[in-house]
Amino acid sequence: MTLYEKIISIYPELNVSDVRQDPFANGVITLQNDSDGKGDYIAKWEHPTLAKPTDEELA
Amino acid sequence: MASIVLNGDTSGSVTLSPPAVAGTQTVTLPAATGTVMVSGNMPAFSAYRASASDLVLTNATFTKMVLDTESFDTNNCFDTSTYRFTPTVAGYYQINASVFTNWVTSQFSSFRIYIYKNGSAYKASQVLISAVTDVWYGNINVQDVVSLNGSTDYVEIYLYTNGGSSACYNGGITQTYASGSMVRGA
Repeated sequence: MTLYEKIISIYPELNVSDVRQDPFANGVITLQNDSDGKGDYIAKWEHPTLAKPTDEELA
Repeated sequence: MASIVLNGDTSGSVTLSPPAVAGTQTVTLPAATGTVMVSGNMPAFSAYRASASDLVLTNATFTKMVLDTESFDTNNCFDTSTYRFTPTVAGYYQINASVFTNWVTSQFSSFRIYIYKNGSAYKASQVLISAVTDVWYGNINVQDVVSLNGSTDYVEIYLYTNGGSSACYNGGITQTYASGSMVRGA
């Protein structure tokens, strides 16, 4: 399961079908992968109401 | 104009070399102050992803574009392990990038290519598609002039897709590449 899929499983309401309204596409939440072998990570989480998931929740 | 003044207190010399053929040439200096740019202090690079195999992008994740092979790198400013251009001369740089992608989507989705400056999105270009039952193929390009300080500033290329499935990009010198060159000094 990817980091994105884990976050969606915690917050299903973040699964927005229209990319124009999608917080992942619009800079509210930024997931990043620097192609350095370390995998995906949360680079920015600025959602106004949903708290950033903890490492335990994402494990 | 009555004289040419050479300032500076370092050792060495300045040599002006005339052409080795007969003739009269005129070098006209503008009525402005600035640094004369010559090939040795105008960094330029061109790099690409060598492998032609597909790289699958994770949905909704900004992923740095792999650029592991150089066509040229005049001042050793491009790093093929971090895929990062950090020029050593301050100035304005024309940055270009292109990615050859293919993906399938059953919903409104996007594929984007970004110029990142110092780790943040700087400029982007994207394709938006409502739905594709077959595979969408094509190159997406981004370009802009970026001011870089010649020491700590750097640029990278990132990709992003959202809403599609099996979004990939492949490589090859003619397919997925980036380049940059100074267009004027700081």
